[in-house]
Parts: sequence; structure tokens; C-alpha cells
Amino acid sequence: MDYLLNITASGLVLGAMYGLIAMAFSVIYKTTGVVNFAQGEMMMLTAYIAWSLGMTLALPFWLMLPLVCVIAALIGGLVEYAIIRPMMGEPPFAIIMATMGLAIVIRSLTILLWGVNAEGFDASVKGGLLEIGPVVLFSEQVFALAVFLLVSVGIWAFMRFTRVGTAMRATALDESAALLMGINVRRIHSLAWAISSIIAALAGVCFALAFSRSPSMWFLGLQSFPASILGGLDAPLGSALGGLLVGVSANLSEGYIGQGLKEISGFVIIILVLMIRPYGLFGRRDLERV
Amino acid sequence: MRSGHAVEDYRQLVALSDNPITWFWVGLLILLLLALPGLVPTYTLVMASAVGIAAIGAIGLNLLTGTTGLISLGQAGFLAVGAYTCALLMADYGWPAEAAMPAAAIFTGLLSLVIGVPSLRLKGLYLAITTLAFSLIVTHFILYSENLTHGPFGVRIANPTMLGMDIASDVGFYYFVGILLLLVSLFALNVMRTRIGRAWIAIRDHDIAAQVMGINLVHYKLLAFFVSSSIVGLAGALTTLRLRFINVEVFDLLISIEALAMIIVGGLGSVAGSILGAAFIVLLPEGVRILLDFLTPEMKTAYSNYVYEVRGLLIGAIVIIILRVESGGLVGIWMKTKRYWINWPLPI
Repeated sequence: MDYLLNITASGLVLGAMYGLIAMAFSVIYKTTGVVNFAQGEMMMLTAYIAWSLGMTLALPFWLMLPLVCVIAALIGGLVEYAIIRPMMGEPPFAIIMATMGLAIVIRSLTILLWGVNAEGFDASVKGGLLEIGPVVLFSEQVFALAVFLLVSVGIWAFMRFTRVGTAMRATALDESAALLMGINVRRIHSLAWAISSIIAALAGVCFALAFSRSPSMWFLGLQSFPASILGGLDAPLGSALGGLLVGVSANLSEGYIGQGLKEISGFVIIILVLMIRPYGLFGRRDLERV
Repeated sequence: MRSGHAVEDYRQLVALSDNPITWFWVGLLILLLLALPGLVPTYTLVMASAVGIAAIGAIGLNLLTGTTGLISLGQAGFLAVGAYTCALLMADYGWPAEAAMPAAAIFTGLLSLVIGVPSLRLKGLYLAITTLAFSLIVTHFILYSENLTHGPFGVRIANPTMLGMDIASDVGFYYFVGILLLLVSLFALNVMRTRIGRAWIAIRDHDIAAQVMGINLVHYKLLAFFVSSSIVGLAGALTTLRLRFINVEVFDLLISIEALAMIIVGGLGSVAGSILGAAFIVLLPEGVRILLDFLTPEMKTAYSNYVYEVRGLLIGAIVIIILRVESGGLVGIWMKTKRYWINWPLPI
């Protein structure tokens, strides 16, 4: 029983990171209809920047985190402005491939700048052990869960209550109508990219704290696809929940069925979901009009 | 350069090319390729074989993605299936290469139908993610079913022969790949001007409209998967014969992206584009090395340390530039130049 609770708890921590990145995917997809295949790489890049700020420049954690968020927002906005905006209206294949091109550029650039070695990431939130009944968690794992909860609630409140969030939902629903209502759709698109980069950056920092910052971090981006597909690509909160489900199921299948299933269980979920309910648990069903 | 060319009868319309000048250049190219082993060092031949294998894979992918419009990120997975089928049949079951290669192609084609079935409901992005998932599951399966696939240890095969040809030697293998590339190109060119090829193009342009015109989507999409993956499986089997030792590392995820980069750089839906693109992407690191040698000899060691990263950087940048500037790829650039000179001094 303790074993079950413990692997479920660490599954939730893993799922929190999946969920964060899945949210980052779905914020962009909901608003702009683009899937950013470079999300994992952008997360890795910001995590490396965070590591450099925190370890090399020795900034305190509470100062480093907001700074990283600002940098991430700038990177997201820049990518949208330079690569995605000029390609709007082109077939999805072209845009997908452009983000993939960006992905391998960032991956190579990270190795060229920081080298291939993995490095530990120390911060003030790290090092404690928390015992909640039979479950033992590291403090950085609790930090990841806290970030996940805060971001989920934050995104929900932002979309629900603020003026900009409402404009974002309007853009997602019908771009031309939003444009006619006087919403600056371009700015909304940039904002979606910036927000999504911030979420991914937080996921990257959590991941680097819990494990290490390494040049294979980008794979977390791919591993978060199942979460987004399961929850619905156009549903940020659904994606967050999908993350938790995928994380827990990954850990349970690794713990009870077989070795190596952790990496793969999510992709089995993808194929099943796409066969049965392609728009996910909370997504909006697409109707194609001819 | 031809201009004012009018098609006058039906035979001209369906010919592969009704232009004697095209046939002349193609013939010259084939003669040059036949004479190549006598002219260049072995290393160049090895690179040429690598280009040939990549080109066969790219032609296969182009039939699926460029012609039928079904985006596949599963190239690495299909290559792995073809390569492992060929390698295991030869190493563990004692099949000759003559039988193992077609078996690998057909098995890959059949397995691709597993992905083809969900593709009937999905398109664009969702299909891309499904094929990506398939590719990762294949690699995982290979890595963890040790009894069947030797798991992480890889498979080694003995020096193969093919119909009495010694394809273990660099020259023999070069000719072998060349013949196969020629056959596959002819097959792809021909299939594209039959009912099947035209149906695929119709599906790419608008699948619902195609269905309204009486094209059976289930039938033709599955056929596209089968044909394309069989060709990719063949390329995988060739990879086995070339390396003679394969493991999962060979079929990295990056291969799928590179394959897509090949057809984008070359030209979507074009056989010539697939070959050009494959040559471009495979020879890119060599080209950069030669250029660096020429410019700054000191950079050489730095480059050889980071060759994979520089390559990734360049491929990514080139893909983005091609997509932004000239979405027709190299073939598109060629067509535009040609049209420009035909119409000169009038604008295109």
C-alpha cells in the first residue's frame, strides 16, 4: 500500500510537469491553432538560462524566477513575431515543420553554448524531505506540485475574469468576429506565445531542480503530448488534468507491469485516445464545413 | 530551353517526359553515375550510397506526405522496422538477402496499416502525433523485447551477397543502391500518373471533395501508407546491408525530422525533389567541412567536435528559410528560374 501511494505521489509530481507543458501547448493551440513542436526545446533553453542565472551568477531563487519568466516571455514573443506570424494562413504542415526546424535549432544551440554535460541545479527550495503519512516527497517535488496548482488556478482565473483573458477566449472562438469587435488579434497571439513560454519555463525550472539540467530535457516536451491530447488540445485546464493522469499512469505501469513502460505508456494512451475520442476529454469537437 | 511547346496528342500527354532533351540529360547522368567508381575515391562512393539510401527513403515519404498529404513523423520507426526485419531474418533465421529484403519491405508496409487505420479519422497535426507515437513505441519494443530483437545489443549480419553480386564491397553496394534507386524512382514516377496517383493528389488537395468525386478514401489512404512504408522499409533493409550492424541508436527521432527536411528542401510531391533533397541533407556536413577547410583550417577541430550540432542548426535554419521564402523547395526554385527565362523579358 505504501508502495502504491508513493509511486502515485511521484507520478503526480511527474504529471505536474507534464501538465505544465501540456498547458503551454494548449494555450498556444487554443488561441492560434498552432502546435508548437519546439515547446520542449524552449523549455530546455529557459531552464538552461535559469541555471546560468542561478548557479553562475548566483542570483537568489526569488529573484531568478521572475527574471526567467520575463526572459521566457520575450523568447516566446520573439519566436511568434519572427517565425509564426509571417506564416499565418499557410497549411498546418508548413507551420508544424517550421516549429520543428526551430526545435532542432534550439537543441543544437543549447549544446553549442552550454556543452553536453548534465549539471545539478541547486536552489534554496531544494533539499528538504516532507513526510505526509506514508508518502515521502522531496521539497523540490512539493515545489513542482505547488507551481502546477498555482499556474492552473492562475490560467483559469486569467481566462475567466480578466479583460485580456476574455479577449483571448473570443479570439479562440472566432478570429474574424474578435477582430471585428476591436480585439487586437495579433497582440493576443503574441501574448499567448509569451504566456505559454512562461509556463514552459516554470516546468523547465521544476524539472531541472528535481533532476538536473541536461541536453535531453527537450524530450519532456514530446512526453507531454499525451497529456495534451488526452485532456484536449484546446483545453488548458483539461491538459493540466491530462498531465496528472498520464504521469500517474506512467508510474503505475512502470511499477506494476514492466520496465521501460514509463516512457511509452503516454504514447499508447495517445493512440487509444485518437482512435476513440480524437478531441480529448475536454476538447471541443471540430466540425468541418465544406 | 523549350518555349511555346504544345501537347498535340494523347501519347505526349501521358509520357513520362516527351522532351528528348530531358531524356538526353537523364541518360548522361546515368552514364556518369555508372562511370563514377572509376573516377572518384572510395569515400565518395560510400557517401553516394548513403545519399541513394536516403533518397529511396525520401521518395517513400514523399508519396505519403507530399503526394497524399498525410504528414508522417514516423519515418524513423518505419526505417527501424524494415532494418530490423531484414537483419533478424538474415542473422537469426538464415534467410538470404534476396528474400529478406522484400520480406522487410512487405512487413513494414503491412505494419504501417496499423497506423493507417487511425489515420482514416485523423489528419494534419493529429496524424503527425500518432505517427510520432508509433515511432517511439517501435523503438521501445525493439529495446525491450530482447528475445526477439537482441534489445540494446544490436544485430550483426554477415557480409551479404545479392544474386551473385558482392554487395559487401563499396563498389558493388554502390551499384546495387543505384539500381534500386532507379527502380524506385521509375515506380514512383509511374504510380503518380496512374489513377492511384491522381487519387492521392486529389486526397491531398481536398479529401472531402475527393470523396465526393468517388474516390474511396479508406482504400486509397491505406494504399498510400502501404506503398510508402514498403519503400521506406526497403530503405531500412538497405541501411542494414550497408552498416551490417544496427541498433536502436541508428533510428533516432532526428531521422524523422531529417527525412521531412529532405522532402521540404527538395520539393513536396516530386521524385526529383526527393533525390535532390536527400543529397542536400546528407552531404550538408561534408559541404560545411570542405568550406571550413578552405576558409579557416583552425576551425577544423572545433567543427569535428560539434558536427552534429552544427548540422542540426543548419538543417533547422534551412527548413525554416525554405518554408518562409520558397515553399516549392529546390525543384520549385528550378521551375521558377526556368519559367523566368522562358518568359523573359516579360514577367512570370
